[in-house]
Amino acid sequence: MSNAIEIERLSYRAGKTFAIEDLDLHVPTGSIYGFLGPNGSGKTTTIRLILGLLRARAGRITVLGDAMPAQHARVLAHVGYVPEQPHLDATLTVQELIDFQAAFYPRWDQARAAELVSRFELDAGQLFGRLSKGQKAKLMMLLALAQCGDLLVLDEPTDGLDPVVRRDILSALLAYVSERSATIFISSHLVHELERVCDWVAVMDNGRLIIESPMETFKRGIKRLTVSGAPRELRDAPFRMLRRESENGAGESWVVANWEPGMLAYVQGLGAVVNDVIDLDLEDGFVELLRSFRGSAAGRTTP
Amino acid sequence: MIRMYRAVLSTQWKWARLVIVLGTIAGFAIPLVSIQGAAPPDRGALQAQELLHAVQSWGTLYPLLATALGLLVAIAAWAADHRGRHVHALTLPVPRWQYVLLRFGAGGLLLVAPIAAVLLGTLLATLSATLPPGLQAYPIALTVRFAFALFVAYAVFFAISAGTARTAGIILGTIAALILVQVVGGMAGIDVDLVGTVQTLLLAGPGPLAVFTGRWMLVDV
Repeated sequence: MSNAIEIERLSYRAGKTFAIEDLDLHVPTGSIYGFLGPNGSGKTTTIRLILGLLRARAGRITVLGDAMPAQHARVLAHVGYVPEQPHLDATLTVQELIDFQAAFYPRWDQARAAELVSRFELDAGQLFGRLSKGQKAKLMMLLALAQCGDLLVLDEPTDGLDPVVRRDILSALLAYVSERSATIFISSHLVHELERVCDWVAVMDNGRLIIESPMETFKRGIKRLTVSGAPRELRDAPFRMLRRESENGAGESWVVANWEPGMLAYVQGLGAVVNDVIDLDLEDGFVELLRSFRGSAAGRTTP
Repeated sequence: MIRMYRAVLSTQWKWARLVIVLGTIAGFAIPLVSIQGAAPPDRGALQAQELLHAVQSWGTLYPLLATALGLLVAIAAWAADHRGRHVHALTLPVPRWQYVLLRFGAGGLLLVAPIAAVLLGTLLATLSATLPPGLQAYPIALTVRFAFALFVAYAVFFAISAGTARTAGIILGTIAALILVQVVGGMAGIDVDLVGTVQTLLLAGPGPLAVFTGRWMLVDV
């Protein structure tokens, strides 16, 4: 499977406090790729690097087979982008913005734009500055979809929107994907939303990628185990221990990643008993993963 | 490319149309008023001395109009992009130099209107007046000079407006440093005339801003 976006050993520094170091990312063509991370983790910076808005210190970025930012004009003709903050001019009307955008994109679909104006109930004569937050988000999505790009890069497209608008936007997005087999790269911290639509997930924190995996593999592998009789040290564990807590003498609670049913034999081989295996949803898994990452990062930096 | 240019032109027209309309009216009116201002109260024949005096006085408005128009149209060209932190412009599928040219060209085309108004105003003013013997009208030369001044002003301010706040800071810092060196040099009794030298370099011929200086005479000997 080829990749719509490939990032290799990317480094970027912004000021003295924030840096992205040795970032590797592989977004399979045709996937809906959820890019998760808390605020300030580096998601928007990564997106800006992907689109050539920022220059990396080192590393390689390939988008739709072309190097970025060297080939940015060619690449951007096939990329729809919805930024975190609406960036369009407040004094232009919806129709003027649509006309402006249409002039720059060779594959612009006027019929789709008109259909989305109607479906999103946008007033073509309304000034962008007078639109509500939800209407602005819908217009941004309209502009990205009507470009008919092979890749959509969406930076928190539904952040702060009410559930009705969120649903409208996501359904338009899913309809587009099913129709065009496009790749969607969507960043968010609304974990539940991504869980419903994404087939790949990556988690970033503090400028570093913690995990990149197919959504099902990730969700299937994150479990909470209730264990009794386990030794203090686990040698050569086939899973990744994210958290281990004692439960007031009644055994231990483990949160593990990369879990598979066959690993019960490993735990039993330690002389321990697994009393319960509980599935975690993406949000719980995300939180546990972040805690574990931050805990180990703190451990590394503590003298 | 023509579609892109039209799209950019229509947005810039929307942002700068008030300035363009007012500038066009002013460009048309200044030559007419400068000739009419010299007419004696009894509507008799124009006197050479009064006419030259009026034309010279009103003539100072041409470089001012060119500077103001150049400045405001250049600011209008970039204001929206600055407000949006250039994200929209930088994500458009065109090379950046091409986008800058589109913006520059759109502003340049809008400036044709006030230039045409100056041409029309100067022609109308000189055709409608009977000039005293020995005086000549220079409507074409004045219009060409106005057009040149306007494009110089527009180009300079366009380049400055296109830059970041850091660029503006560097320019202002350089000017401040020049003045500071001049003041400190003066206090220390050192004969430094940096401001005068820069002024000469810029404004005296063939300096880049020399077109703004000197007399702007619609009618002269």
